[in-house]
Amino acid sequence: MTQTFVNWGMTYDWAWFVATIAGILLIALPLMLAVAMIIYADRKIWAAMALRRGPNVVGPFGLLQSFADGLKVFLQETIIPSAANKGLFLIAPIITFTVALMAWAVIPFNSGAVLADINVGLLYVLAISSLGVYGVVIAGWASNSKYPFFSAMRAAAQMISYEVSIGFILICVVLWAGSFNLNAIVEAQRGAGLGIVNGFWFNLLLFPMWVMFLISSMAETARAPFDLTEAESELVAGYQTEYSSMSFALYWLGEYANVLLMCALNATLFWGGWLPPLEIEFLYWIPGFVWLCLKILFFFFIFSWVKATVPRYRYDQLMRLGWKVFLPLSLLFVVLVSGWLMFTRYG
Amino acid sequence: MIQVLAFYLFATLAILSAVLVIMSRNPVHSVLWLILAFFNAAGLMVLAGAEFIAMLLVIVYVGAVAVLFLFVVMMLDIDFAELRAGFVRNFPLGMLIALVLLAELVFGIGAWRAGSIDLAPAGATEAAPMAASNIAAIGQVLYGKYLFLFESAGIILLVAMVGAIVLTHRDRKDTRPQNISKQNRRRPQDATVNMRPEIGEGVQL
Amino acid sequence: MEFAQSLRLILPEEILSIGGLVLLLAAAWLGDKASRAISIASVALLVAAAAVTVPTLSGGAMGPDTQAFLGQFRADAFAAYAKLLIYVSGAAALMIAPRFFEQFRAMRAEYPVLLVFAVLGTGIMVSAGDLMTLYIGLEMNSLAAYVLASFLRVDNRSAEAGLKYFVLGALASGILLYGMSLTYGFTGTTSFAGIHAALTGQLSTGALFGVILVLAGLAFKISAVPFHMWTPDVYEGAPTPVTMFFSTAPKVAAIALTMRVALEAFGNQADAWRQVVVFAALASIVVGALGAIGQSNIKRLLAYSSINNVGFILVGLATATQAGASAMLVYLAIYVMMSIGSFVAVLMLRDAESNQIESIASMAGLSRTRPLLGWCLLVMMLSLAGIPPLFGFWGKLVVFRAAVDADMIALATLAIVGSVISAYYYLMVCKTMFFDEPADQVKGASDWAHWALLLIATLFNSPLGYLLTGWFDNLAGKASAALFLAA
Repeated sequence: MTQTFVNWGMTYDWAWFVATIAGILLIALPLMLAVAMIIYADRKIWAAMALRRGPNVVGPFGLLQSFADGLKVFLQETIIPSAANKGLFLIAPIITFTVALMAWAVIPFNSGAVLADINVGLLYVLAISSLGVYGVVIAGWASNSKYPFFSAMRAAAQMISYEVSIGFILICVVLWAGSFNLNAIVEAQRGAGLGIVNGFWFNLLLFPMWVMFLISSMAETARAPFDLTEAESELVAGYQTEYSSMSFALYWLGEYANVLLMCALNATLFWGGWLPPLEIEFLYWIPGFVWLCLKILFFFFIFSWVKATVPRYRYDQLMRLGWKVFLPLSLLFVVLVSGWLMFTRYG
Repeated sequence: MIQVLAFYLFATLAILSAVLVIMSRNPVHSVLWLILAFFNAAGLMVLAGAEFIAMLLVIVYVGAVAVLFLFVVMMLDIDFAELRAGFVRNFPLGMLIALVLLAELVFGIGAWRAGSIDLAPAGATEAAPMAASNIAAIGQVLYGKYLFLFESAGIILLVAMVGAIVLTHRDRKDTRPQNISKQNRRRPQDATVNMRPEIGEGVQL
Repeated sequence: MEFAQSLRLILPEEILSIGGLVLLLAAAWLGDKASRAISIASVALLVAAAAVTVPTLSGGAMGPDTQAFLGQFRADAFAAYAKLLIYVSGAAALMIAPRFFEQFRAMRAEYPVLLVFAVLGTGIMVSAGDLMTLYIGLEMNSLAAYVLASFLRVDNRSAEAGLKYFVLGALASGILLYGMSLTYGFTGTTSFAGIHAALTGQLSTGALFGVILVLAGLAFKISAVPFHMWTPDVYEGAPTPVTMFFSTAPKVAAIALTMRVALEAFGNQADAWRQVVVFAALASIVVGALGAIGQSNIKRLLAYSSINNVGFILVGLATATQAGASAMLVYLAIYVMMSIGSFVAVLMLRDAESNQIESIASMAGLSRTRPLLGWCLLVMMLSLAGIPPLFGFWGKLVVFRAAVDADMIALATLAIVGSVISAYYYLMVCKTMFFDEPADQVKGASDWAHWALLLIATLFNSPLGYLLTGWFDNLAGKASAALFLAA
């Protein structure tokens, strides 16, 4: 894109600057729209599983429900508790929201269609997702209220626990793909399964990793059944208890943007990203980003489905799953995968 | 041009937040400033072309160490007034130490510039492989040349972990931990029984 | 570099690390019930590691064939000699531990595992051919040692010992690292061979600071004066089997490491560090001798005794000759056996409730109430004092001879004077045991492992030990030849 702007007669620095801004807008704006619609979809799926109708009043089929909610929240008064630490209280939701958007910079939407094509892309994702916990912890502390604080403690412990095993799972993928660059990882999945299936999931050693990654990504985004941080029966609304108006909305947007990001990572790392599911010529007529969006939607459906059907974990069970099941298993698979590659590919 | 701007941005913010780490009165704020300082340091690393180190800095320090740090500091019950009093009392001493360190730095660098300190040339041992990417180069060195040291360092960490557990873990007899496999093995017929009790007889369990 | 060749050279380390990891798993699954079995398995590991080390020493391995991983690791005869001493002390510390900890119900399966890793760390220390290997080995040993020192959690003194050791050990590591960074800055390399080549001619002030700081950091680990302050407290507070381990394996490793660093890496600058070593040697002898006089606790007394002995060993280093190095190695072997013997004897001093007895006064009249134990302790004390018919005398003799041969007659004379002073408190202990009214406190029975170790150590230190002199001279000669070949 930079080259286009240079051709229009800009200096290289300005062209780079404008191109980057344009790229950011190209990702962020559709993402916001997608979040609004995905909230609607979430509610519809949930309702359908509970034999309810879900939102159906605002607009055709209730499609405009999210926008109406947004407008309502926007017009609300922002309440800041008098005992709260004002600055941090206001910054916390901004952190959550910003971090949720930042990681999208390295997700490839098509061959070469990526905002930042850096060779440590996956590490960047890990680094950014490890920042997400700050929005929650700071909110819990700055609210100066007991339920948010408990929730913040839970969130910190939970996210750190699952990040460790996510790290090991990603190592397996990196080992197989031979690169940290997400585009290269997608390319490495071309025909990875018997030369016809595009995706690492068709691999006996990586399929269990994908299952664990899916579960861990639910825990990492604090979605049901791991939504201990906002377990309403114990903690009111967790760290969001004291929030209202736009600051509350930012958490809402950030959470769903994070869920979409995790779906995108599932698609990119294990299901071939923007590649069509099968290595067949005519499937390439459909552009790559459509395939990616379809995969994201599929995974989002799984997220909603789980949320509607699985009861919430108890806190000690959550910790046990992370440390005593996923961590040893993912570690074992790092050994298995590297051993297998050592003998077959590099031996 | 952008790189120069970015450098000054990161450098200024790093120094500013480092100053605020020690100047802010609330320890939680100090930790948050520290995190910002780490972040800007990572930015400087990226500018220096060490993107792997930059990401590690964020993942390890910001993502793990600082979170735990924040965790602890948030739980502390600190008397801020007393803390401030100590700060004022020790301020001259702190400044003195800082000045001494600064003077030593100036003298040291001055002496080196003047040529009276004869340091060995940088990288006297071998040239760094320039062609490979950051991660590949570090991987080559860690798992090739320094394999033995790398693995031994792993054992050191293991020993530290075992040690921490040995010194703190106590087997408590009064807890009733959940046995998942036992729970999973349990079948309805083990736990329930169908009865047809006579009226007024009650049930023998 | 041949990877396979390197992996063959580190076989003892592989045995210990893989075995240690397996035992750790066993400890985690089987729990504390299995601690005796795991101790036995750990001793077996040490025996296996020793068995593969022996050919290196008896073959007098040296030269480039013994360098693993581009010279970061040396598997030469010198390392093998030190490693065998370390394995012996590690095995002894494992054998005496279960009985000791069981009386506090504190025997846990992690003890043998941590000890194996501590031994592994000391093994890496003595094989270091590079400043980084040195540091890695040192830290591995130290971290395990901190935990071992405070292993007896029910005892406040043990926790205090662990904390003190940790704080001062961290300080020592800091000094060492500072010295290493200066050395690296002025030589541009971390390998001993490279430093040796780079430090020729006039030494610059900065490099001198590096050399001195590295040696100071190591002096902490061998508890040489003026870095000895932690020793009495840690030796007194730590559980006795652990104290025995501290006074043997890490000390052997640190002394061997000091030899390697001083004679090999800084070998061209012997004049720069010699005065430091001479000062440390004499100060250790004097402080060790005078400090021990007022002690009423036998473990503190043995701590000062170990400071004193380190002084004599450093006399050998001050000569900077191959004969001196060889003498040091002979002294080290004898010192290890003396330490094992005396600490096992201390461990066997129990009262009727089988509590440990540590005060010297309670040992009064031991020769009449428990004659065998009393006589064994007598041999240990006189051997530590260096009284002629006993084997301890031989160690001192070879060191002094090396000093005289190197024309350091003043140093040798002063050391002999110090040795006479130190004889005083050893003889005081003997007097208490043999001529005072029996306090009749020592009652408890000891198990066979203690007796076996004590009798072996006693026989070794008795005049019978002189039968081994030829053998020891041969081995120590091979080992020191390997050290000087590399330099």
